[in-house]
Amino acid sequence: MPPSADLLQGTLDMLVLKSIALKPEHGWAIAQRIQQVSNEVLQVGQGSLYPALHRLAYKGWIRAQWGASENNRRARFYSLTAAGRRQLEAELVNWARLTGAVNLVLERI
Amino acid sequence: MGEIWARVKFFFTGKRRREVDEEIAFHLERQVEANIAAGMPVAEARRQAMIAFGSRESAREECREERPSWRVENLWRDVRYGIRGLGRNPGFATVAVLTLALAIGLNTTIFSLLDQALMQALPVSAPDELVVLSFAGSHPGHTHSDGGNSPGQAHEFSYPMYKDLRDKNTVFSGLIAAAPTMVGVTWNNHAESVGAEMVSGNYFEVLGVQPAVGRLLVASDETVGGANPVAVLSFDYWRTHQGEAPVAGKTLLVNGTPFTIAGVAAPGFHSMVWGRTPDIFVPITEQRVVEPDWDYLNDHSSYWIDLIGRVRPGVTAEAARASLNGLFLSLRESEFTLLHDQSAKARTGFITQAHINVDAGAKGFSPLRGDVQMPLTIMMGMVLLVIAMAVVNVASLLLVRAAGRSQEFAVRYALGATSGQVLRQLLTEGLLLGFCGAVLGLLLAPEALRLLIHRITEGATGELLPFTPTLDWRVLAFTLGVTVLASLVFSLAPMAQFQNPKLAEAMKERGGSGGGRSLQFRRSCVALQIGMSLLLLVGAGLFVRTIGNLRHVDPGFATDHLLAFELDPALAGYPAAGVAPVEQRAIDAMAAEPGVRGVGATNDSDLAGNDIQGDVLASGYTPKPDEDFDVELPWVSNDYLQTLGVPLVAGRYFNEGDSATSEKVAVVNEKFVQHFYMGDVRAALGHVLSRPNHSGTEATIVGVVRDVKHESVRDPAIATEYTLFTQAPKQAGLTLYVRTWQAPDAAANSIRAALSDIDTKLIVGNLRTLTEEIDMNLIAERVIAMLATVFGALAAVMAGIGLYGILAYSTAQRTREIGIRMALGAQRGTVVRLIVREVMMLAGGAVLVTIPLAMLATRAVRSQLFGVSIADPAVYGVGIVVICLVAGLAGFVPARRAAMVDPARALRTE
Repeated sequence: MPPSADLLQGTLDMLVLKSIALKPEHGWAIAQRIQQVSNEVLQVGQGSLYPALHRLAYKGWIRAQWGASENNRRARFYSLTAAGRRQLEAELVNWARLTGAVNLVLERI
Repeated sequence: MGEIWARVKFFFTGKRRREVDEEIAFHLERQVEANIAAGMPVAEARRQAMIAFGSRESAREECREERPSWRVENLWRDVRYGIRGLGRNPGFATVAVLTLALAIGLNTTIFSLLDQALMQALPVSAPDELVVLSFAGSHPGHTHSDGGNSPGQAHEFSYPMYKDLRDKNTVFSGLIAAAPTMVGVTWNNHAESVGAEMVSGNYFEVLGVQPAVGRLLVASDETVGGANPVAVLSFDYWRTHQGEAPVAGKTLLVNGTPFTIAGVAAPGFHSMVWGRTPDIFVPITEQRVVEPDWDYLNDHSSYWIDLIGRVRPGVTAEAARASLNGLFLSLRESEFTLLHDQSAKARTGFITQAHINVDAGAKGFSPLRGDVQMPLTIMMGMVLLVIAMAVVNVASLLLVRAAGRSQEFAVRYALGATSGQVLRQLLTEGLLLGFCGAVLGLLLAPEALRLLIHRITEGATGELLPFTPTLDWRVLAFTLGVTVLASLVFSLAPMAQFQNPKLAEAMKERGGSGGGRSLQFRRSCVALQIGMSLLLLVGAGLFVRTIGNLRHVDPGFATDHLLAFELDPALAGYPAAGVAPVEQRAIDAMAAEPGVRGVGATNDSDLAGNDIQGDVLASGYTPKPDEDFDVELPWVSNDYLQTLGVPLVAGRYFNEGDSATSEKVAVVNEKFVQHFYMGDVRAALGHVLSRPNHSGTEATIVGVVRDVKHESVRDPAIATEYTLFTQAPKQAGLTLYVRTWQAPDAAANSIRAALSDIDTKLIVGNLRTLTEEIDMNLIAERVIAMLATVFGALAAVMAGIGLYGILAYSTAQRTREIGIRMALGAQRGTVVRLIVREVMMLAGGAVLVTIPLAMLATRAVRSQLFGVSIADPAVYGVGIVVICLVAGLAGFVPARRAAMVDPARALRTE
């Protein structure tokens, strides 16, 4: 399943990084959180969530650890590494710049 | 850094499949729980969770594809698949790998020679800083050259000029000089003549060559004439002649003079000039000792040493040239005042038109390089043609194989393989074949190289070509490049007919004769193979005829039963005045040996690539203004012309009555008479000849002889004035020719014995038969002819295999058609003729296209041919017959097999 049409290429990575910025989360919780916070606008296709998590792990931005879930079962929790934190900051700055520019164009034209 | 580390770590460990499964299972479970919590029944909750997740397998697959090692895993899978595929067809794989191994091995071998001769830098430190010096401008006086000069680029300088350039320049961190010669070396009471190099004291320091033993020469070793007899030995000489004994500080005799051995140079170093392999290095200031016939050291007008400079860091060759040119011209200015001829014209030639050249010298200066360039280029061209043939050959085999696999590919496409994946698979298989061939070829190459070098240097004396059977990085890079390129071509070529065939079409193709495109492609393969092997066969024919012609050239005298050797009493320490008498004694002693029919001697050996030339003043002849006519000027013994068998035309030969004290006499040849006396041999007799500016050279013409070839069998005879060595103005080393009925080995022993009876110090140098001498000088032609024959034969065999492969396949494809023809009454013979005729028509077409191409290609090598036209009908005829026989045979065998098939069975093959 492709990511929801609203998700720009690369945006999913940023959302994933942001969702685990405060505390480690497992895959299902990440998907749920993105959906809920976006008022169900952003549907994270599971088929793309896990490849994204793997990709980020291979890049060294997040690390995975087995832990107990809220219902006390074994689950993989993902947390940000130092490099991931730097990457997230960079992407947020970039995102702000991009949306700001797009907004400017939309307002002035 | 962290990212790279993480990638490296994951590359090796990856994520285990189980972990991924567990993670996905957990996800589904949570979703199911959430669905139940939202009020769904259990079964529906599970169903919805599954739907929401989508394909678990593809999620897993996509996770795997994120792995950094994904590409490598993929490649490994393709390789394994390729090996399995090739293993299913071992006959095909063996033929293809062997073909490639031969072609790649040969390419590596020849390229290695090319690399060593034309590309490798000298084995010295920082070779890129070296520059070769040469100059333009007249050089009146004496020039001692090994060749390698072109107009405006004379490489020999005088010693005084060298010293001034070395001491006064501002651009070099060092300027070195060297000149080659032969010397007699006595070690452990054994005397022999060896190659030597006279070098400047700073030679080894500037080149950065290290000693293997003791010390090498240093700047302070270059003192004044004859004051410092020290020597450095080459590593090879030390190893082969002295058994690596501790020699530093020991003494050996050079031309009878004791020299102290300072040390041995590092292995692998030969000389600053590529192609020179001296055994011994002596300070240049010992010139008078190692070359007693000449005195060059203080003479501004003796041009004899080659110069190589090392530029200071940051100085470009152009800046060095500009700076050096000023210095050079001011030195020429002061040299000019010392010349006899002070005319304005002489000044123009000596100063106005003079300038110095500074050329990149990482590879060293080499007169030999120009000689070997053309032969090596020809050999390289031939092996490239061989590998092109191998590529077409393997491509056609792959094509046949791929055609047999059309169903396999159709199934793979049907199962969802993309074009890219199929392409990658074919490429992997091709590269696999290529690399197997390359590895085998690289294993063959050093052995082939050793054999070839042995062939080239076999029987060679004096200067050896410094080829070694080792492969350097450049050769390996070349081999890799050739392999990859060849593999790409032959694995992609069959793709032409495999771009996404439809399943139905693939099924239909089973019984047909292949699509139009693949038929076209097969035809081109057949034509290309026939064409290229014809090209190689024609090349082989031309070179074989060339060497045959050269071997049977009549030089004008009988070359059989003629032994030759060098005798230079100066190398045994004889003083100038003693040389000619002992030479005469040696000649007389040879003549007294049993079985000897005649002995002749000359200082200008025949058919050995040597010449000694100069201008001549002839009485009764007025030279045209600005005439520059050079005459060959050998000094010979009384019986020389009779021994060689040069026919007398008029007057008399030299005879017993001509001696050191009698009237000076000369014999000239017909070419000489033609130029100076309008061809009137009678009129020539009695005229007096002399050398301008050489007193004591007047000689009266007493005879005229027929023209004979001198420098080599290739070169036409030139005008010659023979005079007697006993009447010559100075002493010289001689080449003695002994016409004997004894077997060469026995004769050689009696020659050595007779000479050592006169004086044990005398050295018999380079003893050989004249036939061997001629062969030695045809080395390039011989090697080319040999290789061309090998390549031609190889091409014919490869063409045979390739054609057989294609024809066997396409004939098998036509089994049904043949069955129908036979059912309708065609005879077996008719069927065979039908198929063979098709092949022959294709071959005929290929031949017709190739012939003009062959003529074009052979034009480029015309300078290397002798006595054979590039359109020689016999050569082309034989080539065409051979290639047609091969094509006919390759077509006949499968045709016969097809015709043997029972028509009923053939029709049922569907």
